[in-house]
Amino acid sequence: MKKLFLIAGARPNFMKIAPLMHALKGHPYINPILVHTGQHYDLKMSEQFFIDLNIPAPDINLEVGSASHAVQTARIMERFEQACLEHKPDIVMVVGDVNSTAACSMVSSKLGINTIHYEAGLRSNDRSMPEEINRLVTDAISDYFFTTSIDANENLLREGVSPSKISMVGNLMIDSLVANLGKASSSSLKFTLLNKPKEVALGSDFQKSGYCVLTFHRPSNVDNFDSLSRLLSIWGEMSEKLPLIFPVHPRTYKNIQNFGLHKNIEKYPNLFFIEPLGYLQFINLVHNSMFVLTDSGGIQEETTYLNLPCLTIRPNTERPVTVWEGSNKLIKIEEIITETENIIKGNGKKGKRPKYWDGRSAGRIVKILETL
Amino acid sequence: MKIITIVGARPQFIKAAVISRVIAKTPGIEEVIIHTGQHYDTNMSDIFFEEMGIPRPNYNLNVNGLGHGAMTGQMMEKIEKVLLDEKPDWVLVYGDTNSTLAGAITAKKLNIPLAHVEAGLRSFNMKMPEEVNRILTDRISDILFCPTETAVTNLLKEGFSNFGTTIEMCGDVMYDAALYYSEKRKKPSANIPDEFILATVHRAENTDDPRKLGSIFSALNNISRKIPVVIPLHPRTKIKLEQAGFNFEGSKIVFIPPTGYLEMVWMLGESRLVMTDSGGLQKEAFFFKKHCVVLREETEWTELIEDKMNFLAGSDSSKIEKTVETALTLGKTDFSKGFYGDGNAGEKIINSLLTKNINR
Repeated sequence: MKKLFLIAGARPNFMKIAPLMHALKGHPYINPILVHTGQHYDLKMSEQFFIDLNIPAPDINLEVGSASHAVQTARIMERFEQACLEHKPDIVMVVGDVNSTAACSMVSSKLGINTIHYEAGLRSNDRSMPEEINRLVTDAISDYFFTTSIDANENLLREGVSPSKISMVGNLMIDSLVANLGKASSSSLKFTLLNKPKEVALGSDFQKSGYCVLTFHRPSNVDNFDSLSRLLSIWGEMSEKLPLIFPVHPRTYKNIQNFGLHKNIEKYPNLFFIEPLGYLQFINLVHNSMFVLTDSGGIQEETTYLNLPCLTIRPNTERPVTVWEGSNKLIKIEEIITETENIIKGNGKKGKRPKYWDGRSAGRIVKILETL
Repeated sequence: MKIITIVGARPQFIKAAVISRVIAKTPGIEEVIIHTGQHYDTNMSDIFFEEMGIPRPNYNLNVNGLGHGAMTGQMMEKIEKVLLDEKPDWVLVYGDTNSTLAGAITAKKLNIPLAHVEAGLRSFNMKMPEEVNRILTDRISDILFCPTETAVTNLLKEGFSNFGTTIEMCGDVMYDAALYYSEKRKKPSANIPDEFILATVHRAENTDDPRKLGSIFSALNNISRKIPVVIPLHPRTKIKLEQAGFNFEGSKIVFIPPTGYLEMVWMLGESRLVMTDSGGLQKEAFFFKKHCVVLREETEWTELIEDKMNFLAGSDSSKIEKTVETALTLGKTDFSKGFYGDGNAGEKIINSLLTKNINR
């Protein structure tokens, strides 16, 4: 039996690992072991995820919890080193660009264990983003590179990676999406608002293809008063045109309250702040929406698959294929209102699905793993 | 401009001191030195700092004696605190140790500009943890100060010209150091023969493998019958030799206690030839115009091999003996080639940081 460590630490990681866990179930000689670093700590949030994605509880839990980047990376390294020495995996597979990705790849490479990076080669070329540092670190030392798009291959080749080590496998997050869209469509779209004891539901307070989903979490947007209050007034203005639903991270909502901005939400009856959602509810919410406004990474890919307009408030993206081929658009804060009006008028961006974003990536990966 | 220098191993202190001496005579730069504690070493006493003209660290993090992951992790936690307090304009890291890596990652996660001294060196052996440290540190550095043209070429092959980072061939700070310390060289207190070969063996790949260790010392024994081999014996190597049943009494090898750097500089200057598995000494032999027989299968200093200054001999006894014989019969060699710069790497590095700092 080959022992394969699959590393996940943050929510999007589990969406990438889950299809692999399913594809490797009962495999004759590859034994997948799920390692949860505990980077995203919220128990409630991650338990619902395991249920939604239908994956077993992690075999190994490092329980590092939240801390600064250096401290968190440090703790993952310390504890993951122990786990490797104890369980002696043959292959370590890390995914994405979080602290767990970089920390575990460093440890496994130092211990001489075959290290694979899934979602390798993505580059925003913005080294002030800690995620970009994680990507650079992980790709500098991995033994094999699984990529989601052709630009990633090009980036890796430019960085001197041998072509024989790179495989374009497609997009595991899309595997999860394809596998779960049907089941998700029966999940409830009825939510309790955070700022007042009121319920809102699809069909009454917001309509199919008639609302916008917000996801914001970048510290530069939601951790300081100026940008948060500016965004809030723009969201308010948008909500006069169509309902806005924001499943908000507890930390961000706390910021809103601490800055005294929660009173502003009251002014806008169509601005719905709700608790973070499980995976199925979230994709159902996105699937039924008119468009998504975001500062995050993964949602750019899901909207591209669904061919829903996505407005990304960032100067750059590490997933440019969603812009070249997909329905994603990078815009500035001051462009939000105009772009919203365009989409409402029916002029939202349409695109096509990138190569191999077809729900069959896990199968491609297993074939390669069998040859290693 | 405030620079934070991160060091942890003895050679890094010597390298960093080159830069510190330049900083000391340049107005407008403040330097804060962090010692991670990676090498906890009794040789690093007050005398070490005074004799060598090395400034004492401002912080000592006392992290040592752990596995790679745990050590790097603990260093990162402690370095982050200092960086947040000190808010430097630059973080400077040296070489390829866990201290180098921990300093580099912590700085970049805080978005602090990072410079790597001794960038671009490659052994092309990913099984060496040092190689992993080098590659990682180079990949996230903003300025890469290369000691040699080979190092620059290595980086270019890895696509660094596309990364928007700065590569500078500034020369080797150890050459600066060799020039500085040759003025201060000291004769060891142990008896040294008039004519001798200087040898050191301390690398784990040699000392931890009884077969390799035996083979190397059998060669050293045979060579000593013709020309005495002087070995400053590392305590770890001594234990390994005793475990391997080495006959100290029957050997003509001149074993002396470990010496300080200034004594090494003296011996380098006086020796006929150098034999070593150490990375640094291979190069220092060249600085002091000596040929060197390298007791390894590979080396980071490939230019010295290509130019027949140094010779790879590995651990095979007959190959070592033959290589030494050849090296001893070579005619006069021109050691003036500037593989490692002009001895002003320190000045170049500081000038470059000052210029970048203004342009930022």
